Amino acid sequence: MRVEYINPFVEAAYGILKEVTRGEVKRGELYLKSTSMPVLGVAAIIGLAGDVEGRVLLDMTKDTAVKVASAMLDGMEVEPITQLNEMGKASITELANMITGQAVTKLHNLGFKFDLTPPAIFTGDNMEIADTGVEALIVPMELEQGKIEINVAIRERN
Amino acid sequence: MRTKQDFPSINERSVSGVKEDGSPYRVLVVDDSMFVTKQISQILTSEGFEIVATAGNGLEGVERYKELYPNIDVVTMDITMPQMDGVTALEKIIDFDKEACVVMISALGKQDLVKKSLLIGAKNYIVKPLDRKKVLERILMSLQQ
Repeated sequence: MRVEYINPFVEAAYGILKEVTRGEVKRGELYLKSTSMPVLGVAAIIGLAGDVEGRVLLDMTKDTAVKVASAMLDGMEVEPITQLNEMGKASITELANMITGQAVTKLHNLGFKFDLTPPAIFTGDNMEIADTGVEALIVPMELEQGKIEINVAIRERN
Repeated sequence: MRTKQDFPSINERSVSGVKEDGSPYRVLVVDDSMFVTKQISQILTSEGFEIVATAGNGLEGVERYKELYPNIDVVTMDITMPQMDGVTALEKIIDFDKEACVVMISALGKQDLVKKSLLIGAKNYIVKPLDRKKVLERILMSLQQ
């Protein structure tokens, strides 16, 4: 997988996470995984199909998801959330929409044309993801609320 | 969610959700995301608008519009929704009421659908992520047309 595919996602995630949490965000080192890997407990996944195909995964612990959703909901006159309820999931879904929306616009401007699937949220313990035939590039983002991994697996369609 | 633009500046307070006669503008929010619905509602109510109803998909949005008509001033309409998308719902609302004031809410990268909506008769559009200033500006602009 080419690194140029992941950069727009990393830039978008950095900017948007900073904005919605109103805190510091530290970008970790990029690494590559070609076998199956563990998922942290809450995963928002969006599929891509077109000139390129694959998926983008935002991966975090349940605790981080609750804290990030709470930060997003701050000032919106809703009950503070203590667990990942419907509103919490809707918030994380929207976070995934914001990040992929911004990244995909950048990729479209670079000439890559493809469509996105609506995001889905998986929650559970001891989850793993395996992408056969596509390498995944991961960039961890350290927030005050915990770590969010931006996990992108994309390949060109033949 | 509070963004930089979420803190209204006292110096430029021309924005208001209240009509000249003192009654609030009445809004129908159509969006499948609970988060976005809450976000739009919070921005608008803080400026005096009244959210008269919300709907989770286009079909429900059209039904609400017909029920509430003519006691409705503006509709915010998401584009991508299950059951009936926002462009189709817009079409149905315009068929029912040519004067309807509908503002499209679009994800990035949906320029074609936004253009189509404007041709059908949407008054304006807002591209996500939403911020306070953008939402208020576009909605008031469409109400003043």
